[in-house]
Amino acid sequence: MIKFNLKTLSIELNINSKIFEKILALFNKHALIIISTILSFVSIYFFYYYLNNRLGLAYNDARSHLDIGRRVVEGLKPGLAQLGSVWLPLPHLLMVPTIWNDFMWHSGLSGALESMIAFVITGVLIYSFLQKIGVGMFGRILGVLVFVLNLNVLYLQSIAMTEFLLIATMTAGVYELVIWSKDNKILSLIKSSFWIMLSSLVRYDGWFLFAFAAFLISLIIFKKHGYKTTEGMIILFCTLGGFGIFLWLFWNQLIFKDALYFAFGPFSARAQQIQMEQAGVLMTKGNILLSLKVYLYALIYNSNAFIALLGLFGAIVLWFDKNLKLEIRIASIALIAPLLFNILALYIGHSVLFIQGISGNTWFNVRYGIMMMPSIAIFVGFLVHKLKQLRWVIVGLFVFVTFFSFANKDAVTIDDAQVGSSQKNVTEVSSWLNKNTKDKKGFILISAASHDAIIFSSGLPMKRFIHEGTGLYWESATTSPDRWARWIVMRTYDNNDITYKAVSKTPGFKYYKLVDHYPFADIYELKEEFIGNLNTEPVSGKVKFYSPI
Amino acid sequence: MKKFIITFLLILFCSAILTFSLRGNVGNPTREQIGMSQWKDEGPFELSPERGRFALIYSIVEDKSLFFDTPIARFATPDLGYKNGKYVSLFAPGVSILLIPGYIIGKYLGAAQVGVFAIVSLFAILNVLFIRSIAIKLGANNIAATIASMIFLFATPAFPYAVTLYQHHISTFLILLCIFVLLKWKNLAALSIVWFLIAASVSIDYPNAILMIPIAVFASIRMFFVNKKDNFIKINFRLIGIVTFITIIFPLIFFLWFNNASYGNPFQLSGTIKSIKGIDEKGNPLSIEALKKQQGPLFEEQDINRKKTATGFFKSRNLINGFYTHFVSPDRGIVFYTPVILIGFIGMVIMYKKQKIMLVLIAIVFVNILLYSMWGDPWGGWAFGSRYLIPSYAILSIFIAFMITNFRKKLIILMGFYILLVYSISVNTLGAITSNKNPPKNEILALESISHVQEKYTYERNYDYLNSNRSKSFIFQTFVYKYLSAKSYYLIIVSVLVLTCGLLITYLHVKSKKENP
Repeated sequence: MIKFNLKTLSIELNINSKIFEKILALFNKHALIIISTILSFVSIYFFYYYLNNRLGLAYNDARSHLDIGRRVVEGLKPGLAQLGSVWLPLPHLLMVPTIWNDFMWHSGLSGALESMIAFVITGVLIYSFLQKIGVGMFGRILGVLVFVLNLNVLYLQSIAMTEFLLIATMTAGVYELVIWSKDNKILSLIKSSFWIMLSSLVRYDGWFLFAFAAFLISLIIFKKHGYKTTEGMIILFCTLGGFGIFLWLFWNQLIFKDALYFAFGPFSARAQQIQMEQAGVLMTKGNILLSLKVYLYALIYNSNAFIALLGLFGAIVLWFDKNLKLEIRIASIALIAPLLFNILALYIGHSVLFIQGISGNTWFNVRYGIMMMPSIAIFVGFLVHKLKQLRWVIVGLFVFVTFFSFANKDAVTIDDAQVGSSQKNVTEVSSWLNKNTKDKKGFILISAASHDAIIFSSGLPMKRFIHEGTGLYWESATTSPDRWARWIVMRTYDNNDITYKAVSKTPGFKYYKLVDHYPFADIYELKEEFIGNLNTEPVSGKVKFYSPI
Repeated sequence: MKKFIITFLLILFCSAILTFSLRGNVGNPTREQIGMSQWKDEGPFELSPERGRFALIYSIVEDKSLFFDTPIARFATPDLGYKNGKYVSLFAPGVSILLIPGYIIGKYLGAAQVGVFAIVSLFAILNVLFIRSIAIKLGANNIAATIASMIFLFATPAFPYAVTLYQHHISTFLILLCIFVLLKWKNLAALSIVWFLIAASVSIDYPNAILMIPIAVFASIRMFFVNKKDNFIKINFRLIGIVTFITIIFPLIFFLWFNNASYGNPFQLSGTIKSIKGIDEKGNPLSIEALKKQQGPLFEEQDINRKKTATGFFKSRNLINGFYTHFVSPDRGIVFYTPVILIGFIGMVIMYKKQKIMLVLIAIVFVNILLYSMWGDPWGGWAFGSRYLIPSYAILSIFIAFMITNFRKKLIILMGFYILLVYSISVNTLGAITSNKNPPKNEILALESISHVQEKYTYERNYDYLNSNRSKSFIFQTFVYKYLSAKSYYLIIVSVLVLTCGLLITYLHVKSKKENP
């Protein structure tokens, strides 16, 4: 009720405090729905925003992921075998129901959709996590806001990359782990192992989480129940949690006849890193301090230094809070698994990360720093819950720095996509392909491992391309290109481009004329007089599985 | 009476030290003389922030104009603006306007520049008094508050900037005055004063608008009264509180008038004006090519071509570098220049729960740190220590007062604190009587390629300056140099400061022992 007091020249507002209590209770009851709804709108808005300003497909890897998903459903040899090796299969499998649609493919929505859903799920998980450890409404909402009001988060959730699917599955795994540590219910442990199993099918970070979680579980149980019970629980956890890893090893053995093909094969990250080491750019390998520095910079640039610092204090407060059961505190250490994994991966040379100013003048894979964002959000929410007197100061400062990050559009992941080594502007070559091959018959011979971005950006259907995963087509085209490929796209004189490596030695290559040199690749076209001998239609035949990624 | 004597002694002591440290030359420089090295690089106007602000004072008093003629414009470079064919100031005008009386009085006494710098010292002394007052009002011991206020002025980079022409002490003064007013009076008149001060602070330095936000929020809350009774929450908003905003009109009008008169647009901020780094023989701005030739390795093209926006100067990505620069870098870090001020954070932890105003103080410190960590130049150009954090040093000094109050009976802690204090005083006195002209570390390589000698970037540079028997102190250069070396002069000032603080700490400790447990 609003009243105007003439005597004191003031406006009086009388509010029944029960209304606040009712609103709070209502929000509490429907919090997850309300948060999911709001985050869904945010997610859709930012997908649309980044699609419109052409950043939705800026990452080279995003285009590759979409192409892999597409190859499962469309191409010269569609099928599950196109999932390939090296990159884990779950993100591509999840695209299969939608990527057959050209719009879903070329807009990136097929891949972005799983990132967007993962974003909403992660926001809800942060809220629930904080609720489970006793944090009040204020801290829970702030935790979600810390996660959501981050341009790097908003960008990465809008694109077809794997970070968000990994974040959601890992966060879900850790969430269930903490619930298990709190309530001691076996079902929570099973759920945790399920989510961790899923994360192990997204990225190798999930494998580390699996091992780390198993270690934490054994610590928790051993302390209370001794060896026998620990053994039993670990077997239970690992059976489901490790199933994804088993499946992947089995897949590699089945398809590539080598269970470790993903780790040591010619297209593996290790192969790439060996090349980089030889080029002298793998500086973090064997250097723990540099690995720590580089990853911490990535983390800080993704999350904002002030918020990262608050997260650090929050983590310390949480782990030393005697009001929380020791088991919960031990389980919550799993929240820093991404930090440990990435530093370790840099140190042993299995990962590459360039920070401008530290690793030269470019960015590469700086988005890996986003992995700690949910953990930081949880830590900040907890900190604000514990420091009740300072909460409004913390909120004010958070709003302050966030304002500037939005005002200046400060998103390091976008910089990497636009000017870093994660981007590839293949517009010239892909435009040429689209313009000059669309209305003509004939296949394009190209290495998907090297030029997936060109395949994607050309806008042509996958079945126009002969690549490593097309079995006999590839074998035939790389021995007799003049019989199969009307056009060849490759980097001339670069033996890392397996098309060039194979085709340059064939007698048929002399029947091609160079159309032009373009950034990233050259285009060759079969001379007119030899087109008559060309196969221009797909043929059925025995499939050989040889997918690049 | 006792209070008055203590305050008087404190003013006297601070005035004496500042007088002996104040930088300057005898004389009223003409526009031709002002560009000479005895006034510029070797003199009191060693850096462009001093020159730019003095140029505006000079133009207003001598030429009755806001625009610079060619010699004055040349003197003000590289922080010189160019708009509509005229050379203009790149700084907010408030500092220059406030210091005009100092120029006039100084000119009358034959030392115009010293008169200007003396006004800044006056604000520094006022800051000391306010820090002490605020600390006592909030519950600190009187002696602890006195020590803390002296720590601010003599043990932090506030000292080297109290003896020259920068905005920091005036900005700090306005912040402290707002806090003092809000503490002392709870009526609407206090709010009027606060709004006026906040609006005026923007004319002193634009980022003050941001530094004052915590004070503005706290003051705004004063217009609301919240009562809880039975099941009802009663929120009372005093409409007359809106009337208090009327006091912002005056500084706002001045600010808009100045912008309009100087830049032709009342809403144009000086930082967004095209900056001129040099002037040719004909009095025209130097082209980029000519500048490249002139500056060589120190030339930074992106600075000239960069499109300027108000928020564009502050980038959240700069935070990590900013934190490093302000806290631990050897060229500016608090750890090297004023480690004693870090004790203030301990005081913060002790006091944050006690009173609501503590939250305002904490917020100001962190807004200051965050703002200038996001700033593209956290080093403050060539500077001594982290000058942008001077307002934070003032607030942290208040918290130091509580820390000393709490631990006044613990001799070991006091001894450790004293060691930090001695070091901090030594470093900042060195800066005060020599020079603020220390390059940031990242410019050293470019510098060395020009000078072909190893260039230092820490206070070692000041120490070398002192060892070459040089000091920019007016008193030293005018009188004392005949009798003492610069080093001896420095040692005397440091000894006096260190002994005085030591005596005060000892007295505090002894007195605390006699108190009831």
